[in-house]
Amino acid sequence: MNRRGASGDIRHLWVRNLLIWAALLVLLLLSLIAAYIPMGRITTATGIVIAAAKSTLVVLLFMELASAKPLIRLAAIAGLVFLMAMFALTFADVLARP
Amino acid sequence: MSDESALLREPWIDFGRQREAGKFGIWVFLASETLFFGALLLTYTACRIEHPDAFAAAGRETNVWYGTINTAVLLTSSLTMAVAAQAAEEAARLRRLVLACLIITAMLGLAFIVIKGFEYKEDIDKHLVPGAGFALPQPGAQLFYGFYWLVTGVHAIHLSIGIGLVSRLIWVLYRRELPAKDNPEIEVTALYWHLVDIVWIFLYPLIYLPGRAS
Repeated sequence: MNRRGASGDIRHLWVRNLLIWAALLVLLLLSLIAAYIPMGRITTATGIVIAAAKSTLVVLLFMELASAKPLIRLAAIAGLVFLMAMFALTFADVLARP
Repeated sequence: MSDESALLREPWIDFGRQREAGKFGIWVFLASETLFFGALLLTYTACRIEHPDAFAAAGRETNVWYGTINTAVLLTSSLTMAVAAQAAEEAARLRRLVLACLIITAMLGLAFIVIKGFEYKEDIDKHLVPGAGFALPQPGAQLFYGFYWLVTGVHAIHLSIGIGLVSRLIWVLYRRELPAKDNPEIEVTALYWHLVDIVWIFLYPLIYLPGRAS
């Protein structure tokens, strides 16, 4: 009974995480293939969108932010918020230059 | 829950609070790391807007196979790290699984550094170090490679620190100095490891993928 419980735990652990890992590798392959398709300016954007999808999987499921307490989520999001401010302020200059 | 007394540290009187504080602390640190790497990526983006063609030409010179294989290596190390952290939370009897996964994680981290070393060797042979005798004619290409060396170097330092932290965990768990069950050190090390992986996830399209289609 106990042994069976242990192997059940291990199986569950691996199945869940292997699925996430497989999704990550598929996304990696997708971004590699997409890079060779001529799409003009969208090509890099595609790569970054796929990178964002990959890191969302890692943050929410591997780093368990999906089930974390609000305080932890706030701490995690704070970095992104300030990053967005940094990008917005910089591009307000860079992109507005003649 | 008898392991808790072995893991409890000053100044906490309650193990639950200690775990929460540790998790909160590492997330604040990771947010600061996001800003640190974010500033580097911002510099890259601003330079790339100025020199789009040079960045495409420079991106073509990177070795996409080393980059892709290394991304897969890091993603796999995140898998084993996640299994280690979750197994440690799950049950005390999964200690051997935790140890095995931590060992594989550290070895994958080392594999990444070794592959990166081969890549650096190739880059140096191809004269892709900014400065006198640089291989590409466009000035923007030197900016790209300035970013390349800086950011991959900083990433490699972070990864080396991660390998050190994981190795230390393996040591204390193997010698049973600390229990694996609910050990906050495993949790915190895992979060750090995943962030180093995420940084690379973003570096991959910026370094290895530009200019492939043209």
